[in-house]
Amino acid sequence: MISAAGPTAAELRGPAGEAGLAAPGTLRALWTRFQHDRLATAALALLGLIVLICIAAPLTSPHDPLATEAVNRLAPPGSPGHLLGTDGEGRDMLSRLIWGGRTSLVTGVAPVLIGLLVGGLLGLVAGYYGGLTRTVILRAVDVLFAFPAVLLAIGIAVTLGPGTSHVIIALAVVLVPSVARVTESATISACSQEYIEAAKASGVHDASIVLYQLVSNVASAPLAYCFSIIGPVIVFAAGLNFLGLGIQPPDPEWGSMLYGLQSSLLVAPLTSIVPGIPIALAALLLDVIGNAVRDVLDPRLA
Amino acid sequence: MLSYAARRVVLLVPVLLGATVVVFVLIHLIPGDPAGALLGPTSSDAARAALRANLGLDQPLPVQYGKWLWQVVHLDLGTSIARRQPVASIVWEAFQHTLVLAAMAAVLANVVGLFLGIIAATRQFGIADRSAMGVAALGTAVPSYWLGLILVVLLALKVQLFPTGGMTSAIDGGSPGDILWHLVLPAVAAGAAPAGIVARTVRASVLEVLRLDFVQALRARGLSESTILFHHILPNALPAILTVMGLQAGYLLGGVAFVEVVFSWPGIGNLLFLSIGQRDYPVILGVMLFVSFVFVLLNLAVDLMHAALDPRVRTSVTG
Amino acid sequence: MSATLLSVENLRTQIKGERHTTTVVDGVSFELGTQQVLALIGESGSGKTMTALSILRLVTPPVAINGGRVWYQGKDLLRLPADEMRMLRGRQIAMVFQNPRDRFDPLRTIGEQLIEVLRHHGVAQNREEASRRALALLREVQLVNVERVMKMYPNEVSGGMLQRAMIAIAIAPSPNLLIADEPTSALDVTIQSEILDLLKDIESTRSMSILFITHDISVARQVADTVAVMYAGQIVEYGPAPRVLAEPQHPYTRALLASVPTPNADVLHPIPGLPADVANPPPGCRFAPRCPSATVHGRASEPPPWVQTGTSGVRCWLYAEGAQ
Repeated sequence: MISAAGPTAAELRGPAGEAGLAAPGTLRALWTRFQHDRLATAALALLGLIVLICIAAPLTSPHDPLATEAVNRLAPPGSPGHLLGTDGEGRDMLSRLIWGGRTSLVTGVAPVLIGLLVGGLLGLVAGYYGGLTRTVILRAVDVLFAFPAVLLAIGIAVTLGPGTSHVIIALAVVLVPSVARVTESATISACSQEYIEAAKASGVHDASIVLYQLVSNVASAPLAYCFSIIGPVIVFAAGLNFLGLGIQPPDPEWGSMLYGLQSSLLVAPLTSIVPGIPIALAALLLDVIGNAVRDVLDPRLA
Repeated sequence: MLSYAARRVVLLVPVLLGATVVVFVLIHLIPGDPAGALLGPTSSDAARAALRANLGLDQPLPVQYGKWLWQVVHLDLGTSIARRQPVASIVWEAFQHTLVLAAMAAVLANVVGLFLGIIAATRQFGIADRSAMGVAALGTAVPSYWLGLILVVLLALKVQLFPTGGMTSAIDGGSPGDILWHLVLPAVAAGAAPAGIVARTVRASVLEVLRLDFVQALRARGLSESTILFHHILPNALPAILTVMGLQAGYLLGGVAFVEVVFSWPGIGNLLFLSIGQRDYPVILGVMLFVSFVFVLLNLAVDLMHAALDPRVRTSVTG
Repeated sequence: MSATLLSVENLRTQIKGERHTTTVVDGVSFELGTQQVLALIGESGSGKTMTALSILRLVTPPVAINGGRVWYQGKDLLRLPADEMRMLRGRQIAMVFQNPRDRFDPLRTIGEQLIEVLRHHGVAQNREEASRRALALLREVQLVNVERVMKMYPNEVSGGMLQRAMIAIAIAPSPNLLIADEPTSALDVTIQSEILDLLKDIESTRSMSILFITHDISVARQVADTVAVMYAGQIVEYGPAPRVLAEPQHPYTRALLASVPTPNADVLHPIPGLPADVANPPPGCRFAPRCPSATVHGRASEPPPWVQTGTSGVRCWLYAEGAQ
């Protein structure tokens, strides 16, 4: 500070958050800061546990998720042998939730990864090359933004027909535009920085500039964005399954289980709402983790 | 301001044309014979042939698109397979019902969100802040369709305060009070997530303004905290808040779909759901086309409002 | 000397950090008489602004006042209930800030903000009276075209005009004490002296006291009756302005005076080294590392004593009895 006056309120706020990807050393420091947030650390541990249980479904599920027990339909949670009860066909709820979690988590995470890849690439190209390329890409993005996300996903999934992969594609198409926009503006601001100009002026080949310098500076914004939407996308994906668009019965999935039990709401209310718990829990845990990560990266917002 | 609005309206044309292209492409992505899909499995070969000729399926795609667009411009969205009625009138009726629900949910979300956000921001890091943000986190994380089911179990089945679904009572239904009574649970279920998002935005934008130096100067002038909050901080935070509120209202147009299914609310979401089961493609695509137009206009309204409140926005129209 | 209006005793303000706490105002004491001007002089980061903000209790976390007393008309402001303190702000003690651009609500016209203060403090009972008074105030701070200025937004007027408007808002409720925090530092040189003249006029016509915060010793020379020199959160020299500025005792005050261009001196002597880091101050005298006359005591771990002689005081080993 050059001015000789005392600190203003603005200067007392402390240092602004660093832009760009953190170096490995600072990554460890960030991890230490993250661990200070005990709630977020616990959330991360619990989420990790849930994911592990679902991955290891053959080992962790107590029953065959498809095996029906005609005499033991709609058993309430806490029934002997069925910790979370049974559904309308007498299938073990816990086993179906564990197996269904695989589908639900994949259907929620895969579209985000595809969206990050495709949208990130489009945004990078648009921001880096500018001109007509940028206009074309941004206009295409605008067109997809013309549809409410939920309806666009439903429309695409319906025309593609039932199936988990179709739900994933539908969700990815919905996510691409927003990732592209985030990446595009991050690219524009990174491109305007001096080192890119210097690299260009010194005659470094185009592609190497993009790859080595830009990506590391641009990546943080779309990565942060994509991380923040995993939770909502899991809810969204389960919602499409709830509408019967994705996986087909009798295969388990949280959203479709919830729909399947809707008719039993009056008879077995408790059992009927059980499949919603993991959906909400996963979203809540991701939300808590996401907030903590954001606070760690940018302490001003805390 | 007027020229900004005019430029924005002109920019709408390519977007709306693009939306029709998307829907047209989706029609052609339907596996199998589009005429069969559009007319339904029970249609006669003659009818299919007629439609094929009508759609010009033997003609090049651009010609087909042109013809279809011509129909769309004349508000002809085809005929429903399941109901044998013009799609346009079915969609229009359902849309009005959705609008009622989305509006109610938006009002609820914005009022609750504004309240929680202000409480949290003015008591940053305190218990009130933590509780308000906890409620907001729950609201955003809990799936609307699940919250709907829980509300049905608790307030419609256990305690029979509200109906389990529908928009009007079977007997003597349809009065505004009756509709309002049916609205409560779906509006709460649909509004929870936007309420959480609005609360967070309000908190963040108010805190952003609170950090500015002029707030300290206003305190030095001896103004009361409530004057500072309501006459100075909120107006300064308003552009950001209203933008998110508008976006959430737009989201609700589609977002209420899940809740409509849970509560059998006769809106476009429910129409879409029923049409999926019936493979009623004309209705599905008609809904998408219609809602995209409404959605684009709503987003335009949000942008114009933002520009009216914040002069800096008007200067940049591209991007 | 006239009756005391404001008496600051051992004021202590700290910033609580994640790891350690920084004391930005460290035991500051001074007195300000009615219709007097006290200049608080010091470099950037010496704690002048924090002292001002602490007097008005305008500091917000992580900054907190952790000790001392601020006597104003028989009341300790630091122990006043929050609502009483609010009644006092603006009405009895007003403040003018350094950068007027950042100190106005950007969405309200200058007139609206002036009228708001007039109405809030009960100076005007209705809108007409408030506008009439607002126009008079704008004229008093020597603005022209006041009807137009009333309707202008802060971003539409120049920095100098805005500073006049801020002064108008500050004096609107006729406060007894005006705290002026570097009121001229963000302005062009020509406008600086106009604002200084304006403040001097207002001080005499309205018989106010002014706590004038500045880094510029020549500004202090123009306005001050009393001078307090601050270094690294502490007052190092205090006394009547003519005495301090003519016969400075503390080496830091001398260095400050030598670093200012005067018509007689053709060589400038900037102070060597960097201002002391208040987060991690030197153990003994905080100025010792830059002091040309530092003694063994000063460099050692013992802080220098406060040596009071009449109305003057200095914090330096050179004047301590028994020191080498």
